[in-house]
Amino acid sequence: MSVQAIQRGVAPGRSIPLHTADVLWTLVRTDFKTRYHGTLGGFVWALLKPLAMFIVLFSVFSFVFVAEPSYRLYLVLGLFLYEFFTESTRTGVLALSSKAFLLRKAKFPSWIIVLTSLANALITLTIFTIVLLTVLAASGRAPSPLHVALYLFYLALFVVIVLGISLGASVLFLRYRDLNQVWDVIIQAGMFLAPVVYPLRVIPLRIHFYLYLWPPTPIIQFSRSVLIDGTIPTFRAHVMLIVMAATIFGLGLTIYRRFAPSAAEYL
Amino acid sequence: MTPGIIEVRNVCKSFTIPSVHRSTLREHALDLFRRRPGERLHVLDDVSFTVQRGETIGIMGRNGSGKSTLLKILAGIYLPDSGAVAMHAPSTAILELGVGWNPELDAIDNILLIGSVMGLSLRELREATDEILEFAELERFARLKVLHYSSGMASRLAYSIAFKAVREILILDEIFAVGDAGFRARCEERYRKLSAAGHTVVLVSHTTSIVTEFCDKAILLDQGRIVAEGHPRMVTDAYLELTGGTAEPSEFAVAR
Repeated sequence: MSVQAIQRGVAPGRSIPLHTADVLWTLVRTDFKTRYHGTLGGFVWALLKPLAMFIVLFSVFSFVFVAEPSYRLYLVLGLFLYEFFTESTRTGVLALSSKAFLLRKAKFPSWIIVLTSLANALITLTIFTIVLLTVLAASGRAPSPLHVALYLFYLALFVVIVLGISLGASVLFLRYRDLNQVWDVIIQAGMFLAPVVYPLRVIPLRIHFYLYLWPPTPIIQFSRSVLIDGTIPTFRAHVMLIVMAATIFGLGLTIYRRFAPSAAEYL
Repeated sequence: MTPGIIEVRNVCKSFTIPSVHRSTLREHALDLFRRRPGERLHVLDDVSFTVQRGETIGIMGRNGSGKSTLLKILAGIYLPDSGAVAMHAPSTAILELGVGWNPELDAIDNILLIGSVMGLSLRELREATDEILEFAELERFARLKVLHYSSGMASRLAYSIAFKAVREILILDEIFAVGDAGFRARCEERYRKLSAAGHTVVLVSHTTSIVTEFCDKAILLDQGRIVAEGHPRMVTDAYLELTGGTAEPSEFAVAR
């Protein structure tokens, strides 16, 4: 038996002891199922999509940029990382509203829903990473374990950033129903704010700092640096990236905690 | 008087009504320099009551009297604006029957999804799946997407899952209002067993006979205030007087 505290303006606390891991797994599995209609065929599609995109982009770019072989790798890596950012935040913004049917049904912590909304994008990113590392190894430019570890660390920070944005945006979207449109414009424009299709060196050095404030920029640049160039960014750069990830996550979490308790009223 | 298992103290809840509700950034931006008077609808106004352990309390009222909002506050889905609610035991809520499904998933996946959110573990749910389907008489349709279900089938499934997930306190919206006579009879039987086992129940109903038959006491809400409280018979009489009806409107009010 649980006794919940009585406070002013406070509803009964969480009245259900939740099996969080079970809820997480069920949400991921059913999301995946709805998305790809069926189990085995669906999984093949989930595998095939990033693989096919990789092959197409890689072949086209090898054809176009014959002179600069590492440029096509730069481009593919940048495109995939930015695509992860786009896909995960777009589903993240809509996460709570698309699971309204569950939130109206029972009281349970809604951050679980925001977290699982990232699953599909994360699967794609994982497959891409495996393919990319294989291609690098096959072409004799295999990065060292340290470089791979650093890359995975950047991906982890990327997920933290995306989670922060999704947590904040998903509760705000319930009040501001055009937030997804606004966000779409931001990520469209952001595609050019981040050095995805152009190399950063064509931009004057004094502007670089501002471009680095757009989260995908440092993630993409650092990843290119360790995986393709084989150089490691400075310690100070790492600290700044960690501070940035922590700030965005903290901000998102604060917004989420402020608005999540009344979220059900806006569904 | 001993402290109850559910204590509701001076609960107030109001909503901004849609005509002045701004729901996009664009509208907010356009309205920065225009002050519009906010119109608030007081859905619950200073509601207090106590439920003792093992009691069944019925909540009656016309449409829009605040019944559903009260249930949602009890279930923890809405927060009260002021006042407090204390639940001294875990609860299960069955609200908004017929909604709450992912229509793209079949019955079994929906059972796992809703059941896990209601607090059951996957192991418990896998073991109970057959029983849940049997109770809902949906064994044949286990792998059919809920999209293709009739509203009655979907509601039966909702009841079956919730009856499996019962905690000490049950919160029921329009119980026994779904399914055919056979299904209703089995729901009533299941309910009687739960009540006999000492569960505390809060139920909302438009049907006077359900309130007089199942409830130990009842309250009547009108415009967000408790206007009658006490013996079920007295409250149902007050309800009939309020609605000006003699017949039971439930048979017509069910479809939703």
